Amino acid sequence: MLSAELIREFTDAVGAQAVLTDRAAVRTYECDGLTGTRVVPALVVLPETTEQVAAAVRICARVGLPYVARGAGTGLSGGAVPVADGVVIGLARMRRILDVDVPNQRMVVEPGVTNADMSRAVAAHGLYYAPDPSSQTVCTIGGNIAENSGGAHCLKYGFTTNHVLTLEVVLPDGQIVTVGGDSTEVTGYDLRGAIIGSEGTLGIVTKATVRLLRKPETVRTLVADFPTLEQAGAAVGGLIEEGIIPAAVEILDRLAIEACEAAVHAGYSLDTAAALVVEIDGVAVECGEQFDQVERICRTNGTTKIHIAADEEERARIWQGRKAAFAAVGRISPDYIVQDGVVPRTRLAEVLVRIAELAGAEGLRVANVFHAGDGNLHPLVLYSADAGEAERAEQVSRKIAELCVEFGGSLTGEHGVGLDKACSMPKMFGEDDLAVMSRLRTAFDPAGLCNPGKVLPTPRLCGERPGPYRPHPLEAAGLIERV
Amino acid sequence: MTTAHRIPPHATVRPTSLREAHEALRDTHGAEQVVRFRGGGTADWGAPGTAADVLVDTRGMDRPLAHNPSDMTVAVQAGMSLRTLQDLLEPAGQWLAIDPARARRGATVGGLLATADAGPRRLAHGTLRDLVIGTTVVLPDATVARSGGHVIKNVAGYDLAKLFHGSFGTLGLIAEVVFRLHPRPRASATVRVDADVASATRHALALMAAPLEPTAVEWDGGALLVRFDGTPGGTEAQAAEAVRLLGNVGADAQRLTEDAAEEAWQGIDARIDDIDAAAVLRAGTLPGRLPEVSAALTEAAEASGVRADLVSSVCAGVHTARVHPADPAAVRAFVTSWRVAIIALNGTVTLRRRAAEVDRDLDCWGPPPAAVTVLRHVKNQFDPDNRCNPGRFAPWF
Repeated sequence: MLSAELIREFTDAVGAQAVLTDRAAVRTYECDGLTGTRVVPALVVLPETTEQVAAAVRICARVGLPYVARGAGTGLSGGAVPVADGVVIGLARMRRILDVDVPNQRMVVEPGVTNADMSRAVAAHGLYYAPDPSSQTVCTIGGNIAENSGGAHCLKYGFTTNHVLTLEVVLPDGQIVTVGGDSTEVTGYDLRGAIIGSEGTLGIVTKATVRLLRKPETVRTLVADFPTLEQAGAAVGGLIEEGIIPAAVEILDRLAIEACEAAVHAGYSLDTAAALVVEIDGVAVECGEQFDQVERICRTNGTTKIHIAADEEERARIWQGRKAAFAAVGRISPDYIVQDGVVPRTRLAEVLVRIAELAGAEGLRVANVFHAGDGNLHPLVLYSADAGEAERAEQVSRKIAELCVEFGGSLTGEHGVGLDKACSMPKMFGEDDLAVMSRLRTAFDPAGLCNPGKVLPTPRLCGERPGPYRPHPLEAAGLIERV
Repeated sequence: MTTAHRIPPHATVRPTSLREAHEALRDTHGAEQVVRFRGGGTADWGAPGTAADVLVDTRGMDRPLAHNPSDMTVAVQAGMSLRTLQDLLEPAGQWLAIDPARARRGATVGGLLATADAGPRRLAHGTLRDLVIGTTVVLPDATVARSGGHVIKNVAGYDLAKLFHGSFGTLGLIAEVVFRLHPRPRASATVRVDADVASATRHALALMAAPLEPTAVEWDGGALLVRFDGTPGGTEAQAAEAVRLLGNVGADAQRLTEDAAEEAWQGIDARIDDIDAAAVLRAGTLPGRLPEVSAALTEAAEASGVRADLVSSVCAGVHTARVHPADPAAVRAFVTSWRVAIIALNGTVTLRRRAAEVDRDLDCWGPPPAAVTVLRHVKNQFDPDNRCNPGRFAPWF
């Protein structure tokens, strides 16, 4: 519990309506998309201006109170899980689009604007914001910046870091600074690049200038069915060999297709082992040439059926199916864990076999949806909590992420390390690597109050020595729970 | 009087491996020596810095470590020249999608990363910060730290590579780098149109608004060059469309022959990388600011009594000013006055190469950015004793 005096300070800083202390109200903020981990904060502030954010941060800094910034809370790695007895700074009320500069293709937004609203706001000008995480209708640009979000189209168009030019940031000492610049040409260390993807541990972004792209002249999308995942993967290899960078290239396995169809009837074939979605966009002539190549490559690799989206509506349905995949899995399994790992694209087939073995050994099923062009896997571990499978599922899921590291990949391609994978970081990085990352953190936040416990393993979180996952001490003490 | 950075260091070491680089920095750290890094020696930019006890020459670290064509990634030692790297990648039909002017003089990939350099095709592919997916650095205290990895998509941990982009050797040595690669374009087409600054800006913004995907749009003061890369059919169609679009506003645009295009682009490089210039400055602004940037250049040149010209990556808002040989005091006056104007446009300026005598009494960086305290804190965390290229960011830190 915070003292009445301290609570008054917060209400003085941001207004009484913007401070929540009521237990029921603050419980709303106890978790993010990693729903198994819940921690109730002492207080939630909902500022409407940068100055209010800075004022709240200054109070926290003065009294040594940890705080966590939060957007829409859709993150899947627990990056926005509160600190017990700490403060949550919710940015949902900062959701104005401050400026649109059509000729220069720039937009200035507050952090609470949703990803999809950014594109919607400039659609009439033929522009859009490129990164498109599956949660784009809900997730905010502030959260995207924290996680360096990608999406289905990032193989060609890149990640949040390639599209955000300037950031206004409230630093952990309460100072408000702007980093980055009007062009990509800036002076000094690339602090913008360091902050994007830092999972809210280096400061709180209160304003961002993003680059907009002109909508491509043509977009063509197909779904090709394959009798095996290997053949679908080989087709992707064929695209790369011929120098084609598709706008998006996704693979869904049989279970994932089943789930998508149960949820949104997107038109995927239920009788195939793998569906390969390929989207080509750009100028019409080039698009046409490349699309023909894609079809040919799919046939060479043994596709059994090619469905070409006939119009925008069909295309939208294909994507609706793909983007609904995570939630759709709820249709075929009472519970599931979404994993996010990366392997070199060429090792996809091997790693999928290993994943199936890992899950099979525990008597669990895994549905696979992945961004096949860049080797970013999203295995969905299906389980039933009622049947007591939760712990096994959790272990399988963690082992999958660590397996990706063994294959020369990464623990996470877009969901972030957060709280969920902080203790796995020593699998991917050495002690010195982590110590140097920690120096960067210290440069921004010497007191360690800004989203503590996320990204880097701490003895408190992971036990005395950073190492394999152990139950969280707060969990052991019954203070937090993992469902 | 010579400026500090031109005083030769007492010793030069030339490591050939990460281990040797680590040992070199362990030794300089133990002896409390000031250290500087040198790659191809093509960019002694920013503030001159103070004299070093030891120079670490990275050109011995020039080996490829792993090229995975099917994953579109390559790992190399940072002392490899960009030219060598491109030659290495060519048989696989790939390239590192960056074309900085000074590559022709043997710039290394580590040096290009440390100096945040990029060429015209940054319009399509960004700068090296957008292409680096992993680094191994050696800090001044000899700590070896890796970040990123070998996969294109990866958000595990802080992205130290970004921090080293534009660090000018002040945080540590970039020893190894992993890049994402792109398919080498099968064809390229260039359209040229005569344009003064007003029409160049208008044309560039019109191209941005059109359904075309130029990979470079450069204005050299008299003409606008527009480049398309891709398939033969695609580049052909885009070039034709660009000619038509510019024709609609009364401009006589023409597609250049392959030879003429090659010559035109080399001309741009020669301007940007003019080793006989009295000074070369690089500025960044919003794309539409070109007329103001150009007017400020004319005004600053007239007021200082120098001759200066401009090359602009218009759509990227990146401008390179070149000052012709002149009295050093006049060059200094130009630097200061143009920079004031660019900063007033919310832009940034980096002083690149210049004649030695220009350095004297020159504030090389100008007013510090808002986040200068963070820059200092970062420097202090990585190099607490300030022994790694000290003074390069003077007077900021």
